[in-house]
Amino acid sequence: MSAPKTIPKDAQVMIQILKDMGITEYEPRVINQMLEFTYRYVTTIIEDAKIYATHAKKSNVDADDIKLAIQCRMDQSFTSPPPRDFLLEVARQKNQTPLPLIKPYTGPRLPPDRYCLTAPNYRLKSIQKKVSSSAGRISVPRLSVGAVSSRPSTPTLGTPSVQSVTTKVGTPVSLTGQRFTVQIPPPSQTTTTKTTTPSTPAVSNVLINPSLIGSKNILITTNMVSQNTGGESLKRKHEDDDDYDAL
Amino acid sequence: MAAVQGGLVDADEDKDIKTEASNDSWGNNNANDGRLLSPSPGSSASAGSNKSAAGASEEQQTLLAVLQFLRKNKLTESVEILRREAGLPEDSLEPKGAESSGAGSGGASGGVDLEGGDASSLLSRVTASSTAGAQAPTKVAAGEDQPDVNVVLSAYSQQGDPALYEVYYSGLKRFIESVLDCHRAELSQVFYPLFVHMYLELVYNNHESEAKAFFEKFSGDQECYYEDDLRVLSSLTKKEHMRGNETLLDFRTSKFVLRISRDSYQLLKRHLQERQNNQIWNIIQEHLYIDIFDGMPRSKSQIDAMSGSLAGEAKREANKAKVYYGLLKEPEIELPLDDEDEEAENEEGKPKKKKPKKDSLGSKSKKQDPNAPSQNRIPLPELKDSDKLDKIMYMKEATKRIRLGPDNLPSICFYSFLNAYQGLTAVDFTDDSSLIAGGFADSTVRVWSVTPKKLRKVKSAADLNLIDKESDDVLERIMDEKTASESKILCGHSGPVYGISFSPDRNYLLSSSEDGTVRLWSLQTFTCLVGYKGHNYPVWDTQFSPHGYYFVSGGHDRVARLWATDHYQPLRMFSGHLADVTCTRFHPNSNYVATGSSDRTIRLWDVLNGNCVRIFTGHKGPIHALAFSPNGKFLASGATDGRVLLWDIGHGLMVGELKGHTDTIYSLRFSRDGEILASGSMDNTVRLWDATKAFDDLETDDFTAATGHIHLQDNSQELLLGTYMTKSTPVIHLHFTRRNLLLAAGAYNP
Repeated sequence: MSAPKTIPKDAQVMIQILKDMGITEYEPRVINQMLEFTYRYVTTIIEDAKIYATHAKKSNVDADDIKLAIQCRMDQSFTSPPPRDFLLEVARQKNQTPLPLIKPYTGPRLPPDRYCLTAPNYRLKSIQKKVSSSAGRISVPRLSVGAVSSRPSTPTLGTPSVQSVTTKVGTPVSLTGQRFTVQIPPPSQTTTTKTTTPSTPAVSNVLINPSLIGSKNILITTNMVSQNTGGESLKRKHEDDDDYDAL
Repeated sequence: MAAVQGGLVDADEDKDIKTEASNDSWGNNNANDGRLLSPSPGSSASAGSNKSAAGASEEQQTLLAVLQFLRKNKLTESVEILRREAGLPEDSLEPKGAESSGAGSGGASGGVDLEGGDASSLLSRVTASSTAGAQAPTKVAAGEDQPDVNVVLSAYSQQGDPALYEVYYSGLKRFIESVLDCHRAELSQVFYPLFVHMYLELVYNNHESEAKAFFEKFSGDQECYYEDDLRVLSSLTKKEHMRGNETLLDFRTSKFVLRISRDSYQLLKRHLQERQNNQIWNIIQEHLYIDIFDGMPRSKSQIDAMSGSLAGEAKREANKAKVYYGLLKEPEIELPLDDEDEEAENEEGKPKKKKPKKDSLGSKSKKQDPNAPSQNRIPLPELKDSDKLDKIMYMKEATKRIRLGPDNLPSICFYSFLNAYQGLTAVDFTDDSSLIAGGFADSTVRVWSVTPKKLRKVKSAADLNLIDKESDDVLERIMDEKTASESKILCGHSGPVYGISFSPDRNYLLSSSEDGTVRLWSLQTFTCLVGYKGHNYPVWDTQFSPHGYYFVSGGHDRVARLWATDHYQPLRMFSGHLADVTCTRFHPNSNYVATGSSDRTIRLWDVLNGNCVRIFTGHKGPIHALAFSPNGKFLASGATDGRVLLWDIGHGLMVGELKGHTDTIYSLRFSRDGEILASGSMDNTVRLWDATKAFDDLETDDFTAATGHIHLQDNSQELLLGTYMTKSTPVIHLHFTRRNLLLAAGAYNP
């Protein structure tokens, strides 16, 4: 047989406190919660006081340390709302400005984007691109973006990326040794390519400036490198701007 | 004394601002209101008045003391100005360092004192005032003194010997018990504030044992409805206990308002101004504001009906401002030609016309209602097409509305939240009753669809590109069928959600939580759009305005804030309550906001300029439910004392009291045409009251307004139309559908 349960003394004290404060109905868990709070609070204060006492090079903790500890805790955790005169003053100032007029036809009326929670709060990490080693490979540093590789207009043959592209766009990209022609697909195709590029992991929405590339549409050999670099760098600028989830 | 509350010394403007701010920002300084307590020559020190009629020697003493004080703090310019204005000769200053003090100004000067003249720091005032009491005795001791100045100046800190406080109080008690019956009720009002202030003074001046003895002896005499306050007071025995308790600090510095008839007041004044009772007179002058009216003294029941709040009753001029309680005119909507449109009643049966029809519900009278605000008093968003469609639906439903009355009670449909484990903290319905949202203690918000139509999210951006934008049902196509479900969970808060409100256009949901933020959620994407940070303390309630765009929130920091969805900071701050704001409601015309608070008052605020235009006292517990009548004229309020009180907004009076509930009332709602008032309470019942009858035959004339002689009929039993009990589910929310079906919600609590 179990012994009759006796409530520990602390709990009895807590029950008495609740009764004195006029609280007559409460769940039994409330006593546990109150006791835990009390214990945690007192422990924190005493620990703080010990720190202050050692800081003051005293051997024992005395009442002043406790008072200081309580005061610091009050200012930190148990803050109280601002006093009434302060509130009245602030209210007076705020209430003087007239209500702002409402602009018509503005769609959802939300604060500026900085103050909203609507921005994406994540970035996609780019996969480690191995620059493929096909012949005539242009050693263009397309590291940061990688999206470049998916462009039909790029003469590189990073094979996987091209595959993803060529399904949509029949871009004749031919490599002839060190010389290759780039055929710039018409803009419409590029845009559709854009939308399908989500399939490529490292790709994102990129602005392709066909005109820019067009201008560099020269039959070149190594020249292409630099040209493409030039084109690339320009392109990359676009990409860097638009595309923050492929870093 | 009351007339010169404007400041310690007019010459010192900084202090002036502080004390002015410490009193409520309206009405206090009106010396031209002849009914105010006339400044008696024996007034305590805060009368740093620059009236040159300072004939009484005591006033002169006060002036001198003030000069001393200024001089001590090296405010030489102020000294000069004061001396010039008061016409004092050069050498009349005495080297006295006593602190001049007075109720709120005592705190102010204490603050100034501590700062050594830096009067611009408002925040220090509170801590300063807490030490003002301790300061004064030491200062008084330190200065060389003339006993008269001493006594006058140490007014707030100490009215004579603490051991004599009991004697003073008993003396007053004996006197009041000996007056005529008709005056006794009125004068008994003095007991409670006097008791509290004397007790607090003793505590502040570290006379702990005297304070305890004083408390034990007299606390039992107080009215029963002050029991909760007294319990809080009983645990306050040291000065340090008061730090951080903003409510009590506000109580100390604000004046408790009493309304007493002139005859009773004369009696009291005469008695207290006799020599030996001067101390009590001083205390009364400092802490009480006696609003005198001419007329018959009020009876006990009348007084009991109006008292109970933490700051006494409301001054008459607090309820004098004009309130535009009428409704805004409904805009005339050109109905697009639509075969499904049902015409309004008067056009039934007529062949459909080819020209657009106007709605006939709102524009019956072209004349402006004199009590209605103008359309552009506050900027309101214009109606979009979807809003117009909503309005058309509204009008169609309105034609099918059931007329309610004492013999035609509404059916009640109760939505019980199961398995909420006491975690349901807030509920709201949309106006067309299609969605229900619940706020929970686990900081989630859940939205359910009440109709068979499921909740869907809008498609992602990629998918949206694929749809045909030109098709007719594009609004259906943008919804993603894959996400259809009965309910959606919105996570984002970091504390229990205490307030919920749908926007009138059903696009947004607001939720306010213990974490101090108010969040705006989109009901199209079911994501959080904005978090409005401003209150740094739990926000107890929030509500969208009936026209959308604005919303109001109230919380633990004792202010209510008005926001607009496109401003990240509040537009208005409604500050004045002495304790937490527990309930916030918009008036149907969106021009006014009512706030109920733990200080047991209800205040009505003007959105245009943030002023408090009405104060309603009478509840004996924190207010948890407010409801405006649909015609905008009346306000109903429910509190923890289980009573529903009805208020006439235009006149600022209590017009009815509905007794019946036995526990806190958490929800109140008028039916769509205002005939029935439904109230839901923690005692697991919903009660229906006859609102038309309650507001009939109101005698509201100037006399009633002036004197507070309200005649409440004790007709709660007649007005009660029905009591409906749930099994064990407290009723948290009530909502009348557009056709006058009553919906109720609560969490089943086995």
